[in-house]
Amino acid sequence: MKANLFSILKPYRGWIFSLILLAVLSNGLSLWVPQLIREGIDDYGLGTLNLQRLLTQFAVAAFLIFLFTYFQNLVQTYASERVAKDLREDVANKISVQSYLYVQEVGSSKLLTNLTSDVEAVKLFVSQAIVALISSVFLIVGSSILLLLIDWRLALATLGIIPLIGGTFFFVLSRVKVLFTKAQEVIDWLNKVINESILGSALIRVLHAQHFEYAKFVEANTDAKATGMKILKHFAAMIPIVMFVANLATVIILLLGGHFVILGSMTLGDFAAFNSYVGLLIFPIFMLGFVSGVMARATASYQRIAAVLTHEEVPDTGTRSAELKGNITVKNLTLMYGEKAALKDVSFAIKAGTRTAIIGPTAAGKTQLLQVLTGLIRSTSGEIRYDGKKLEEYEKKSFHEQVGLVFQDSVLFNLSVLGNIAFSTTVKEKDLTRAIETAELHDFIEKLPHKLETVVSERGTSLSGGQKQRIMLARALALNPRILFLDDFTARVDTRTEQRILKNLEKNYPHLTLISVTQKIGAVEQFDQIILLMEGEVLATGTHHHLMETSTEYVQIHESQRSTHSL
Amino acid sequence: MNYALNKASTNPTEPQGPTKAGLKKLLPLLKEDHLKMIVAVLAILVNSAITLSGPFFVAYAIDHYVVSRNYEGVMMMSGVLIGLYLIGFVTGYIQTAMMGGVAQRMLFNLRNTIFTKLQSLPLAFFNQNKAGDLISRINNDTDKLNQFFSQGLVQFVSNLFMIVGAGIFLLSIHFKLGLAILAPAVSLLFFTRITAAWIRRKNAQSLQAGGGMSAEIQESLDNFKVIVAFNRRDYFREKFKETNESNFKKATSAGYANTIFIPVYGLCSNMAQLITLAYGIHLIAAGDFTVGLLISAFLYTTRFYDPLRHMAALWGSFQLAMATWDRISAILEMKSNLIQLPEGKERSKADKKAPPLLAFHKVHFSYPDGKEVLHDLTFELEAGKTYALVGPTGGGKTTTASLMARLYDPTKGKVFLQGQDIRAVESSVRSEKIGFILQDPFLFSGNVRENLCYGNDELAALSSEALDTELKRFKLDALVSRFEKGLETPVKGSGDTMSLGQRQLIAFMRAVLRNPELLILDEATANIDTVTEQLLEKILKHLPKETTRVIIAHRLNTIENADEIFFINGGTLTRAGSLEHAVDLLLKGKRES
Repeated sequence: MKANLFSILKPYRGWIFSLILLAVLSNGLSLWVPQLIREGIDDYGLGTLNLQRLLTQFAVAAFLIFLFTYFQNLVQTYASERVAKDLREDVANKISVQSYLYVQEVGSSKLLTNLTSDVEAVKLFVSQAIVALISSVFLIVGSSILLLLIDWRLALATLGIIPLIGGTFFFVLSRVKVLFTKAQEVIDWLNKVINESILGSALIRVLHAQHFEYAKFVEANTDAKATGMKILKHFAAMIPIVMFVANLATVIILLLGGHFVILGSMTLGDFAAFNSYVGLLIFPIFMLGFVSGVMARATASYQRIAAVLTHEEVPDTGTRSAELKGNITVKNLTLMYGEKAALKDVSFAIKAGTRTAIIGPTAAGKTQLLQVLTGLIRSTSGEIRYDGKKLEEYEKKSFHEQVGLVFQDSVLFNLSVLGNIAFSTTVKEKDLTRAIETAELHDFIEKLPHKLETVVSERGTSLSGGQKQRIMLARALALNPRILFLDDFTARVDTRTEQRILKNLEKNYPHLTLISVTQKIGAVEQFDQIILLMEGEVLATGTHHHLMETSTEYVQIHESQRSTHSL
Repeated sequence: MNYALNKASTNPTEPQGPTKAGLKKLLPLLKEDHLKMIVAVLAILVNSAITLSGPFFVAYAIDHYVVSRNYEGVMMMSGVLIGLYLIGFVTGYIQTAMMGGVAQRMLFNLRNTIFTKLQSLPLAFFNQNKAGDLISRINNDTDKLNQFFSQGLVQFVSNLFMIVGAGIFLLSIHFKLGLAILAPAVSLLFFTRITAAWIRRKNAQSLQAGGGMSAEIQESLDNFKVIVAFNRRDYFREKFKETNESNFKKATSAGYANTIFIPVYGLCSNMAQLITLAYGIHLIAAGDFTVGLLISAFLYTTRFYDPLRHMAALWGSFQLAMATWDRISAILEMKSNLIQLPEGKERSKADKKAPPLLAFHKVHFSYPDGKEVLHDLTFELEAGKTYALVGPTGGGKTTTASLMARLYDPTKGKVFLQGQDIRAVESSVRSEKIGFILQDPFLFSGNVRENLCYGNDELAALSSEALDTELKRFKLDALVSRFEKGLETPVKGSGDTMSLGQRQLIAFMRAVLRNPELLILDEATANIDTVTEQLLEKILKHLPKETTRVIIAHRLNTIENADEIFFINGGTLTRAGSLEHAVDLLLKGKRES
């Protein structure tokens, strides 16, 4: 897609206009200063100098220039930072309404670059390029008119360099733009390597694999250098070419103008004036050379940002906000990951207020099933109904307020324990206390230095696996959910705690519909229904006793756990 | 040691030392490029000489040839000009290419240096710093430094040349007048010096806000599934808005500070013109000066102050570069608190016969928050035995295991590996002997094979067949076949698309394949189904008989087969003796979590 860099400036017309106005004022006044000096010297020679008046004029000019430049810089800084801020907010807002799958696929590394480095490039365009760009165009047009007025023949010959320079710009910039895009992609890559090296820092140290990480980093960094060098080569060649062509104008004037003067078709005065004005033409061309790099980079970055901004979002079409009872029916659910089916034609029904366990080997599709059931990812085909209505019909906000999900891996924010548990805004004091109690966190929180206000360190590194898991449970319970999904919740919690938690659940949340993915049959033998999932397919459904009689696979799993009852 | 970058040395209210000292530290990064920089500066000098002399040649041609209607002379002069401009073309190329190249190489070296430093730091560093902030330092901050180097430095130097030259001319025309004209420049020098610290501080704050923003983004994106599942998309927006706003405030105030020089330098330049005019006319009136000299004084005043005004624009970016450098230095100055001792003769006390494989001697450990999590742990692990560490969550099992693998050093007491202080054992030797399957398995994006061979040159060098043989040797082939495309199964986004159980399988294979003498499993199979787990147990049993296993688990069967059971609770260790005793301890033991 084509994204026009200038289109982002529209809402800031007022700022851009005042920016240009201030630039014109301060530059115009700066031209007046030499004029004052010339007059002063001339008047002194003539003996008519009014020193008092001259000095006043001069002081006023200097002060006004100071003021105008000062404000120009303020406006320039403000406008560019404002554009950057608003753009970042747009991108963040856009990301916030995307699906989990989108963020997973695009990757956090790229989105981070979009929000930082790419926006930075656009900001530089506003702060460094706009004034220079507009004043260059004005100067080029203005001086061209002046030259045409003095001598149109000579002017046309001189202006012949402009298409030449334009062509050079066009050629180089069209090639460099691709490189700038590449440069930003390399930053995505560097982000990823650095991020992985931080997330995996413990493993890297255990395996003593620092050199491996270094090699990965150097590979990305070398690519960054190579791309940087390529961009550099283009500009290193372009700028002298443009300068050379611009300088050729002086030679053309000398040769052609000199010829006209010698032939008598041009006066010496016009020739001299022509020579002095040509400087006015060349200077802005140099400026354009500098600005073009900033623009090329900004264009490449803006296109990357625009791709995020224009990506189709998942529409929240649901309007249903009725209270959930907890009846769930799943019909012919299929989920494809590329060619591989993670879930194949899955069907089952869950009654409100019952407890259901999903059991199956590693990679059976249990986690994906939970993610589809909670609307985190969309199934390829099939349907899910809550209380007889399709999942899509529910308003997301209302749905997620009634459905709790405890993830398999711990996801904690660098917030206080309270902030992590009361993560949803609708949490009430009463529900919070009950959630903490049920998750057996009370004693743990009492021992923390600042109780509930204790801040969880980066990635929860200061907590044990079981503590993290229980905070995650409390987070889901704090919603006071109608339906609770547990993904292998008890894996990290010792059995005594697990049993107490399950009892607490029964006591404190009597009407809860519970769906628990687990490895341990022992803990769920009493459940109303057990679903046996293997390789994405439902092999058997029923109570423990029913499955023990009908499913050989279930019996096999049960056998494997006979000695595995937990501590 | 305190590793929190944003709390320790980069406190933005106190910039680090004077500018000169900061610059000196930068120089080694440019080591082989001094010559290139000199060439670049020479090129820019030639280039500006050509730019300045162009009009002179044109004037000469008009005066001598156009006026006398000598067209051949005009043609000759044009030839000279073209020649000059061709030289300018070459020097222009050299100037940009050389200096840009220097800057690119500096950027390359600097990023590598920071990354190497990060790799040399212990785990504790990463527990105290945010990934987003570190990324920002490596990618964005270094880029700012690069921009200053590629664009600013040459101009800085060449402007300085011009300023000095014009200053000398001014003083030689008329000493007193010269001094008067230079007076505003001297005041600028003071102004610049006085404001330097303030501006650097503003820039430091802005950079820190930028790092904070990046950390916020990284955290929210990495935790996106919780944001979706709890319908807290507004949390993402609100949190971002907050840091975006704070970044905006800091960045604009740094921007205002950086641009303050341009109007001030402009004002001083005009003041100097005014002084020239007023004082010059006064001198002429006194008969001490001529109009002709006054005109050249004006010319040199412009020549002096114009480059100075260019430097004003550069000065802000220089201060930004210095603030950036402070942030980078803060990382580079960090030292690992895991000191490598020289390989000593020191042996643990119980050193009559062969030393135990691993021994803890009166080990205490506290995390940086000061709370002691392990108290006075003493125990030994013998080769070939299986040990189980049991106890409630939060009791100190993972910390004990982390100390065995030297992710941390004890605050007091010692850990011995085969009789030698573990701090004296080479990291490579240690990691060869000790395999540690972490509680949170981590995968790198790539494929299963790359993850299995990760960090091990020998494994990575194996051919597919050789690796298969190796996998079969440890009976791991059955596990590999559980992945859709075997070894070639892709791993995306740090394993985010795989279930925890699958990730644990890979982590298990990765550790076993290295055949360590001590294998530590920290709830390593917690999310793996029990049928597969039986297979894992077989694999563990099949390990060479001298392999020592340390197992942290909740499941009874894993512990049943243990030779010895350690009960860890509240940071202390009790030998459980028998399984019954262990169960007893677990049931009665005071809960610490």
